Amino acid sequence: MEAMKAMKVKDIILIGILSATITAGKLALSFIPNIEIVTLLFITYTIVFGYKKTLLISIIFSTTEIFIYGFNTWLLGYYLIWPLLILLTALMKKIIKSEYGYATIGAIFGYGFGFFFAIVESFFYGIAYGWVYWLRGLLFDLVHGTSNFIIILILFNPLKNLLFKLKRTYYNNS
Amino acid sequence: MNKKITAIVIVLVVALLGFLGYRAFISPKGVEGGKEVTINIIVEKEGIDETFKYNTDHEFLIELLEEKQEELDISFEEFDLGKMVTGMMGYEVDPTSEYFHIYINGEDAMTGVGEIPLNNEDIYTFELKNL
Repeated sequence: MEAMKAMKVKDIILIGILSATITAGKLALSFIPNIEIVTLLFITYTIVFGYKKTLLISIIFSTTEIFIYGFNTWLLGYYLIWPLLILLTALMKKIIKSEYGYATIGAIFGYGFGFFFAIVESFFYGIAYGWVYWLRGLLFDLVHGTSNFIIILILFNPLKNLLFKLKRTYYNNS
Repeated sequence: MNKKITAIVIVLVVALLGFLGYRAFISPKGVEGGKEVTINIIVEKEGIDETFKYNTDHEFLIELLEEKQEELDISFEEFDLGKMVTGMMGYEVDPTSEYFHIYINGEDAMTGVGEIPLNNEDIYTFELKNL
């Protein structure tokens, strides 16, 4: 029972720390439009820590975004799109055998990012607005998907190995 | 590692082709030469309904607005997606509830001011609307 409690406390601390790393990672690269490491971190966290913890991390991350940027309709999309990426990664985990698969998921995710938000915006402001929103952001989506592919291809394996090592140390010392 | 470099190069080439495709088929193109255009500004609640006629060589609406910024008392805000008009004729929008809707010859504009090409005899209407 004590061991279980200790585990839960460790989980809570871990989820808090990982959420902070995602927010910090996003802010650190926020000066470059649509180049980010959030996708890489969510995919890697899902593989290393499992989808349940990572879903909680995504909720904390999206809520933190509201505290930073104020409430916007696009932030509602965050509550959907990151869990979608996490669930997709978890589902594909058994099929994907290398970083190329995750890089491809990241690329598709980036290329489709604007389209997804255009759908969300359409519910609030109409289809015409959603269409404009998507068209105006096409070049940003191009940058987003391409940079996701490269970032994940290069950093996924080293980050995954490091996190697995840290995870073992973290939970074995309880 | 070579395999990764090859994959990265392929993705970059595809992205470049995508960019060229965007520029060729989707990105709006400006029209060179002199044009006579009309800018109409409507802020109903302030009783503003002003019309301005200009002869210009600019290719995009944003260039004309920037040139006439003082006369039209325009303010812009820069976003990742480009510039947005946040004030006209001295009226500043409340960004949480209002925006300037753009019509081109009475039709909804499909892009922001940065991507609207100027065409001869076109009428560009900016009307304050609620979100």
